[in-house]
Amino acid sequence: MSQSPYPTQQTPEGGAPLVGDSPSYLKDPVLDVTVRMLVELAAQVWVDRERLLVIESLLDERGVMTRAAIENYRPGPARLAALRQERSRFIDDVFKDLKRIPADQEK
Amino acid sequence: MTPSMDILPKVASRADASYLDFVEGFREYIVGKGADFEERLDAALRAQQSARAERFQNVDEICELMHKMPLARLRDRLARTQQEMKWQKIVSSYEAQRRELADELATWDSRGPGRLLLDQNFVYPPYVNVHFHLQPGGYHKDELSGFFYHYGTKVFFRGDNDQDALHAKLVSSVPAPRDGRVRRVLDLACSIGQSTTAFKQRFEQAQVTGVDYSVPMLRAAHRRAAMLGIEVDFVQGLIEATHYPDAHFDICFAFIVFHELPMRIIRATVAEAARVTRPGGLFAVFDFADTRSKSPFQRYHRWFDARHNGEPYSQDFCDCDLDSILAEHGFEVEAAPVGQRSGGAGYMSNWFATRRA
Repeated sequence: MSQSPYPTQQTPEGGAPLVGDSPSYLKDPVLDVTVRMLVELAAQVWVDRERLLVIESLLDERGVMTRAAIENYRPGPARLAALRQERSRFIDDVFKDLKRIPADQEK
Repeated sequence: MTPSMDILPKVASRADASYLDFVEGFREYIVGKGADFEERLDAALRAQQSARAERFQNVDEICELMHKMPLARLRDRLARTQQEMKWQKIVSSYEAQRRELADELATWDSRGPGRLLLDQNFVYPPYVNVHFHLQPGGYHKDELSGFFYHYGTKVFFRGDNDQDALHAKLVSSVPAPRDGRVRRVLDLACSIGQSTTAFKQRFEQAQVTGVDYSVPMLRAAHRRAAMLGIEVDFVQGLIEATHYPDAHFDICFAFIVFHELPMRIIRATVAEAARVTRPGGLFAVFDFADTRSKSPFQRYHRWFDARHNGEPYSQDFCDCDLDSILAEHGFEVEAAPVGQRSGGAGYMSNWFATRRA
C-alpha cells in the first residue's frame, strides 16, 4: 500500500486512508488557494454571463429595453445599498478560501 | 394530483443552477480532452516505463513519479476542487429550501403505488460512515441526502443520465435468465431507485424491490417512483443480510456499490446474493473495472480516487478478482476477460453471473 504524502485518516473498516478537509497539492497552501479562487471566479463569471445572455434575449424578444437604457442606469440609494451587499457576497464567494490558509510560520 | 416539484428538485436559484452547470462543464474539461490531463500524463508515465524497460510493479512507483510532476499535482488540485465546489453549492442551495424539501418527502412517504418499508430498529454499520465521493454526510446523515445525491450524480454523469438514460441502458443490457422466467427482481443498494424502476418497466409482471441502508435515499427513491407511477417497493436493510427466503429472486442487481464496500462485506454480499438468487437466476453487477489491466494513469487515478475522493474501499475492490469470488459462491461467470465486458460507460465493467443449479 502506497504511503500518501498528505495527512490522512483511517476509515472505520480499513481500506485506503482518506485525506483531510484541505489537502495541499501544490506544495504551498497559498498556491492551492489561488487555484481554487481562480476556478471559483470562473464559475462566478459564467453565472453572470449566462444570466446576462438570458436577460438580453428576453429584453430583445419582448422589445422592452434597449442597451442604452442599461448603460445609463443610475441606482437610487436603496438599490445602491443592495448592490453593495451583493458585491460583498460576490467578493466573499470568490475569496473565501483565503480563510483556509493557516497562519503558520514558513518552514 | 399535480406534483409540487420536479423529481429532481430545482436548486434555489438560476444562479445556483448556472454555477453547477459550470462545474459540470469544468469536470468535462478536466477528465476529457479539454485539459487533456490523462493523455499527457499517461504518455509521461509510459515514457518512464519504457526507459526502465519494465512495467510498473505497483502503484507506489507510479505515485512517486506523479507527485514529482507539477502538471499531475495541478490536475489533482482541480479534480478535488471541482468536487468540493459541486457539493458545497448543492448542499447550500438545498439548505435554503430545507423545510419545503423535507415537507415534500413527507408528502410522498405513504403514497403508492409502491411501498416504503423502513426499519425503526435499524442500526447503521460502521462501514457506511464515510463521506463517499466527498458528499457531506455520506448517504444517510442528512434527510436530504437523496436529493444531494441525485443532483451530484447529474453533474457526475455530465448529461448522460439526466433522464435516467444510463440506468435504462444498463438494465436493458442485463440478460434474462436462460429459462426466461422473471417473477422477482432485487436491486441491491438501490439508492434513489433509478435501476429499480427501470427493471419494473422492463419486466412489467415482476415484483421489483430495492433494498438500501439509507433512509434518505429510500425516501427519495419512493417519492421518485410514486411520482412516476411505477409500483416498486423500497426496503431498508443490509444488502449482505437481506432476510429474504432462499432462492427467492430471478435477478439480483448491484450497480456501482461494490467499490464502496469493505472486502468482507463484498464477500458477504456475494454470499447473500448466491443464497437469494434461484438456480438458473442471474446476479448482474456493474462497477469500476479491474485496475491491474489499466493504463498507468488509470492505476494512479484509482489510488487518488480512493484517498482524495472519499472512496476508501475502492482500490481493494478494483484490485480483487470478483470473477473468482462469484465462482466460489456458486455462480457461473462469463468467460470473457473483465476488461472486455462493457459496463455502459468506459470506466465500468459488467459481471453477469448465473446461479448454478
